[in-house]
Amino acid sequence: MTEVQLQQPAFHDSRPGLVTRLLTGAGLIVMVYVLLYVLYAVQQPKALTSYSIAALINNTAPLALAAAGQAIIVISRGFDLSVAGVISICNVVLAVYPLEGPGGAAVSVLICLAIGAAVGVMNGYLVAVLKLQSIAATLATMIICQGIALVILKAPGGSVAEWISYEMTDRLWGVIPVSGLVLSAVLLIWMVLRRTSFGISLYAIGADESAAALSGINTTRVRLLAHVVAGCAYGLAGFMLSAQTATGNPSAGTPLLMLTFAAVALGGTSLSGGRGGIFATMAGAATLTLLQKVLFSAGIASFYTGMFQGAVLILAVVFSAFLVRLGDRK
Amino acid sequence: MTATSKTAPPETGFTQNGDTRGSARVTRETVSTVSVAILCVMLLLSARLINPALGSWSQVETVLVLGFFLVVLSFGQGVVILTGGLDLSLPATITMGGILATSWVGAGNPGEWYLLPGVLVACGLVGLATSAGVIWLRVPPFIMSMAMSIIVASGLLGYTRGTPRGAAPDAAVVLMKSHVFGLPTPVVALVIFAIAGWLFQSRTVYGRYLYAVGTNVDAARNAGVPVTLIRILPYVISAVCAGFVGIALVGYSNGATLRMGDDYLLPSIAAVVIGGSSILGGRGTFLGTVGGALLLTILGTIISALGLEFGLRTIIEGSIILFALLVLREELFQKLRSFGR
Repeated sequence: MTEVQLQQPAFHDSRPGLVTRLLTGAGLIVMVYVLLYVLYAVQQPKALTSYSIAALINNTAPLALAAAGQAIIVISRGFDLSVAGVISICNVVLAVYPLEGPGGAAVSVLICLAIGAAVGVMNGYLVAVLKLQSIAATLATMIICQGIALVILKAPGGSVAEWISYEMTDRLWGVIPVSGLVLSAVLLIWMVLRRTSFGISLYAIGADESAAALSGINTTRVRLLAHVVAGCAYGLAGFMLSAQTATGNPSAGTPLLMLTFAAVALGGTSLSGGRGGIFATMAGAATLTLLQKVLFSAGIASFYTGMFQGAVLILAVVFSAFLVRLGDRK
Repeated sequence: MTATSKTAPPETGFTQNGDTRGSARVTRETVSTVSVAILCVMLLLSARLINPALGSWSQVETVLVLGFFLVVLSFGQGVVILTGGLDLSLPATITMGGILATSWVGAGNPGEWYLLPGVLVACGLVGLATSAGVIWLRVPPFIMSMAMSIIVASGLLGYTRGTPRGAAPDAAVVLMKSHVFGLPTPVVALVIFAIAGWLFQSRTVYGRYLYAVGTNVDAARNAGVPVTLIRILPYVISAVCAGFVGIALVGYSNGATLRMGDDYLLPSIAAVVIGGSSILGGRGTFLGTVGGALLLTILGTIISALGLEFGLRTIIEGSIILFALLVLREELFQKLRSFGR
């Protein structure tokens, strides 16, 4: 334990300069997003109408929410692969048991949150209490969840309640997209959460677990809670995805798995824990979604979208690691 | 992460951490290899109870033929895991091997003796790109291999325009469909591969280097291990193995599909973990992995003979991985050892 502390450099100032803060925080990714949006608007002048902005936010919401959950785990220095499984289960449940009306939608949200929380408790128990490697443990839970999704719905089909698929993708007063409100609400919750002792402990554990434990943080409880919170975010992501696709698919969540890591990395959250935030992650998710649109409107065959996504993922990780090192050198 | 899994409870630390330097590896690895092998035999025998057709010699042959794919794959995956990485690009490289084998080589091509190795080289280059990213760009292994997987899969999708064409190369058909000494060739190949893989991993200098790098990179470098080479090698080996399995699969089913590799990623990791390797690297034997791969194949055949639906099969697979992880937990082994004395 002493060795670890000796190797640590002296604590640098916790408030870095303005330039670094712009580069390492959400500033950079927001700038990238704006640039990409300008490019998109030049290609497609109708991109600036409230209809297409709402459509874009609708497309972004599932990934942004899933990535937000992933970011919470990554900040505490872990990886969560179960995100794909939770989203798939929520999607098939909503498609097989559609509940109409606003009341049905409320119950559906609660069901999704409960599914996410249940899987989160399981992950948390495996990772925090039994101390299994987070990749390996969540890999197992992901497979189990995918199996459950397949048991509920064998092949793509079913349909999500109309109220959900219509209202959740609509605009309030013809302007404000509902999905945008959901994202803002989650962001607001996070802003409160990160100021609680849970939020602070989360960052502390990610930066140095044994130091955090020595300073009296109950690391087991915080990790467990982190997985439950993340699970709820995945559940919400599953809900928003179902609203958008309006149909069920037992492997609905799989394509999002890699993209959540890409969004987290793009948002400047260090994959080795202790740094990052939800807003930047959501901006990263939005950038990835926008990138697909830009590529599509630039006439690049959808076959090759994966190539760009993969390249962006690698670049994002390399670049965020570079910025972190730059920040450390000061 | 490493720190948490290795901390022993302080109050019992003195009694548990006696001198177990030699016994630790022997106990853990031999125990898991032997128990997996016993489990395999028991499952095969008990399968007769479910269905009399199971457990017969022809059934064993089928298991071994199907197990050949997984054994080769999990050798590559095992070498990567041994050095502390994880290769998620297997599905894409399997598909790449299969698609290149059908579209570049195809049936009745006289140039297959140099084209098929060419396919393996192409797959090896994918592995090289993965290790370059992991070593020099310092991208976490699973992110890097996941990204490579997406890139290669999308490249293949574009290359084939969604519909792979062509038939299996003759050599691949011969490998999968012929018989040697009255046994199917894949079974003989499986035995040879298992012995060769075990010799490489446990008895050659390079094999031991892999353990050294997986246990502690800095210590290995100080001890004079060519660390960079040893860290490049695993992903290349894994990609070449996957490409080979792609070719073999094409010979088995006489055609390539874009999703032919998808069902092999999770079993390849599971086989390594069940075989007693640490997912953190530095520990495990190839013979254990072979046992794990065969165990999974046997389970797969039994489950499909039971007529369980795909979802339930998936749940069982996941639970097996979870079970293996729980059983192989560090603390449990420590407990077992402390009971022993």
